[in-house]
Order: sequence, then C-alpha cells, then structure tokens
Amino acid sequence: MSAFDTFRQGIQHLAEQGTLPASLAYGFVVNAVLAGLFIGPVLGGLGTLVVVKRLAFFSEAVGHAALTGVAIGILLGEPYTGPYGSLFAYCLLFGMLLNYLRNRTGLSPDTLIGVFLAVSLAMGASLLLMLSGRVNIHILENVLFGSVLTVDAGDLLVLAVVGSLVVALTVPLYNRFMLASFNPQLASVRGVRVKLLDYLFVVLVTIVTVASVKVIGAILVGALLIIPAAAARLLSLSLRGFFWLSVAIATISTQIGILVPIELELPVPSGAAIILTAGGLFALAAVIRGFTPSLKGHAG
Amino acid sequence: MSALAGGPGIAFESVDLTLGHTDILRQVSLRVEAGSVHALVGPNGGGKSSLFKALLGQVPHRGQISLTWPGEQPGVVGYVPQALAFDAGLPMTVMDFMGAMCQRRPVFLGLSPRWREPVEQALQQVGMLEKAGRRMGALSGGERQRVLLAQALIPSPDLILLDEPMSALDEAGEAIFEKLLAHWRETRVTVLWIEHDLDAVTRLANNVSGLSRQVLFDGPAAQTLTPQRVLALFSSRQRREEEKEKAVA
Repeated sequence: MSAFDTFRQGIQHLAEQGTLPASLAYGFVVNAVLAGLFIGPVLGGLGTLVVVKRLAFFSEAVGHAALTGVAIGILLGEPYTGPYGSLFAYCLLFGMLLNYLRNRTGLSPDTLIGVFLAVSLAMGASLLLMLSGRVNIHILENVLFGSVLTVDAGDLLVLAVVGSLVVALTVPLYNRFMLASFNPQLASVRGVRVKLLDYLFVVLVTIVTVASVKVIGAILVGALLIIPAAAARLLSLSLRGFFWLSVAIATISTQIGILVPIELELPVPSGAAIILTAGGLFALAAVIRGFTPSLKGHAG
Repeated sequence: MSALAGGPGIAFESVDLTLGHTDILRQVSLRVEAGSVHALVGPNGGGKSSLFKALLGQVPHRGQISLTWPGEQPGVVGYVPQALAFDAGLPMTVMDFMGAMCQRRPVFLGLSPRWREPVEQALQQVGMLEKAGRRMGALSGGERQRVLLAQALIPSPDLILLDEPMSALDEAGEAIFEKLLAHWRETRVTVLWIEHDLDAVTRLANNVSGLSRQVLFDGPAAQTLTPQRVLALFSSRQRREEEKEKAVA
C-alpha cells in the first residue's frame, strides 16, 4: 500500500497548504472520502437495477443480515472492526438461500424476505447480547450506524476489489439483468440465463452491501441502494438519465454525509448523515417533480 | 438475411406436461409445417402458453419435440409475449427498451450506432417510430403490443412465437399485424400463433389446432373451425363429460 500512502500523504499535504478542505489533512478523513468515492457510484448504479427488479426490500434485508454476520464474526474471534469473513459468508448464505427458496416455494418474495429478516434479526440480537460481556457493546454502534473513524487501508482494499468486481460484472450484463425481470420467457428466448443471473444479482447486491457496512453501517446500508435510485426515477425521462442521476445522487450523498459532520463537528454517525442527505435529495426530487408536469410523462 | 432460408418444421409427438399434480398437456401430437402460419386456439388454461414453454425447453416435459431447420444451423427464434412486467413509472423510453432487447452495450450508455438503423426500421414497421421517445409506461396497451412486435423483428426471425399479439391492438394495429404476418408468410418464416380471435385465425392462418390440454382438432384453418368444434373446445361442461367417459373407459 505504499503507493496509496504516498497518494494519501499528497492529499493531506494539499489540505495543509489550504488547497483542499482543512479536514482532509487527517488521514482517516482521506480514507473515508475515498471509501465514499468507491461506494457512491457503485451503490447508485446498482440501485437502479434494484429498483427496476423491485428488490428494495431484499437489499434492506441483506443490509440488516449484516448485523448478524458481525455478531457471528466477533463470536468466532474475528476483529470487531472488520469481521469480513463472517460478514461475507453469512450474508451470501442469507441471500442465496432466500433466492433458492423464492424459486422453490410458492411464497411471494416479500413474505419470504419478511420471515428471513425477522429470524436473522432475532439471531443477531441474541448473539449481540451474548457478546455484551466480551466486548464493549458501544463499539458495535460503529458497525450498526457506520463510522468514518475506523476505515483503514484494508477496508479500502476490500471496497476497491468488491467495487471493481461489481462494475466489471454489472456493466456488460446490465441489459440482461433488466430483461430477466421484464419477462423471463422473452429473456430466455434472447439467450439470457435468467436463474443464473438472478443468483448473480443477489451475490452482487450482497457483496457490495457487506463491503459498504463499515462506512454506512449495517442498519442503513440497504437504503443507499434504494433512495438515490428512487430520487433519480422521479426526475428522469430515460434510463440513461435514471442511471447517471442515481450515481450522482449516491456519490453526492456519500461525500456530504462523510464530510459535513466532520467539518461542522456534528456528533452524527456517517451512515445516518449519508442517508439523511440522500433522503433530503429524494424530498427535493419529489418537490421538483410536483412542479414539473413534463416529468410525469405523456399520457396515452 | 436468415429469413430467406425459411423457418423450421416442428413436430410435437405425444407431449405430456405435468406441473404439481395437474396435467397441463396430455399426449399432444401435432405438426407445424415449415414456413406456415399455424394458430393455436383454446380456452384459458388449455395449455397453449405451456406448449410454447415446452417448445422453448423451459419446462420439463415427456414426449418429443423436434425442429427441422432448412439449413445446417438452427435459425433465429423470435417471441412476442402477452405482456411485460415492469413498473409503469419507470423512466424507460421505447428506444431504451429496444436498446435493452437488442444490444449488449448497457442501455445507460445509449443506443449503439450499429443498432440505431435496425431499431428505427422495426419501430417504423409497427408505426411506433414517432413515439420512440415516449415512456413505455405511458403507452396504451395496443402501442405496447406494437413495441413487443417490433422487438421480435430484430434480428429477423426464422421461427416466431406469438402469444396473443392482437389482444390489445386497435384497428390500425391489427392492419400492421396482418401486414407483418403476410411478410412472414412470403419469406417462409414459420409462425406459431396463440390467438383468441377466431375470425382472424380463419382469415390469416394456414392451419389451426384446438388445444384444451389435448389436441381436439387440427387442420386447415378455413375448414377446421366449425361451430361444433369451437363449441366443444370452449365448453368446459362438454369437456368434463368427455373426460369422465374416458376415465370410465
């Protein structure tokens, strides 16, 4: 990571000179800003597919499953600041099993997700209480609500690898992911392997969610897949506008959510600040749409 | 274009399809002649769409389905579904949809220059080019049906499966559909067509099969669709009685 250290020191130096905002003179702030630059575009872009495929509840559930993944990780002796092994393993198991049962049972996805979410949260809460004697339970607040203070070079590496993987797979398969949800039979005639892509999408949502837990927190990470895309959907007239606006809103929300509490010395966790910013932009989008008839589309 | 070689002949032989404990198709045997327009008629739940799924290999079935292509390589299969499942508020224009259907390049990067001409031609053929910028969710049922027809034109199909393509079409849309059907007939594309409009079937199809879990009749459209056969096909009471008699026998 020496090249990265040199890069970070360069930014810190520019901040000390006054070229960049003063808060970037701190290494942990630079780490957090870089993490946000990885997270924002990836979650914003992938979020458009989550909205198209109506998987908002699923992505929320995977985020909440991270809570249980963290608890299992700490129980197994992983570092409480980054129990990635258990996080990835548990959340992937959660997502894959859910998708498998969705295909196998006649239950509607929201019912099945409701069951999985409740059981997973109950398990996570039980494990966390069991752990309360072993670790300072307040440290877990960072995992639940996100903390920029604890983002280190290892977290950035995880984000960079996961982010690159998600982009490399999503960009060439973007149209196919959409088609599979519009009409599986038509998609299949056009050579789309619908079931395989369903699993792949679940895996992509899961790994990007897990990689983002450190900054946004397990409770709120799912929301960054949904709110920017939902806001973009209100303001867009085409899929191109929808995608890029969602990427922009997610990136802006992430940067504001990370930097503003630091600059203003507000005792607000980064995850909450990011989601509140995205929520504010969603409200703004709703107001703009209300006053712009052309955004409501043409009738008939 | 691959359509010049013509479409395949299709043979269904003793096809059985059971989902759960329900028999969807029973001993379905029929032949679709290469380059013909073959209509499938029958009541809802009669297994017409399931026969499509079996043909496309999307459901496990017993019996044999064979396609005999005129060339050495299998040709292009086009499919027009009844409907699409998407959020009506999704900001997806007609052009976005066509791009997503045809090209690998992600649709958020726009329609690639390579596909612009064929897409515009296909939309022109169904009279939707001037509405290419409209949201899919803002189209009428008939307009959306026309777009579904347009997507099936790219790439040019050799075998086309139509699942009630006329159900929402207005008069102008019907005329466009008839023109397409005439073009497919001319270029010897094999058309397998699920339809409820029996008048249209009589006028436009070469052959028709009546399907209600099993083949009740099969033959040239103009002669086969007699009132008695249609009544027997759509009358659930008569069908139940026949099934009872068969079970007793």
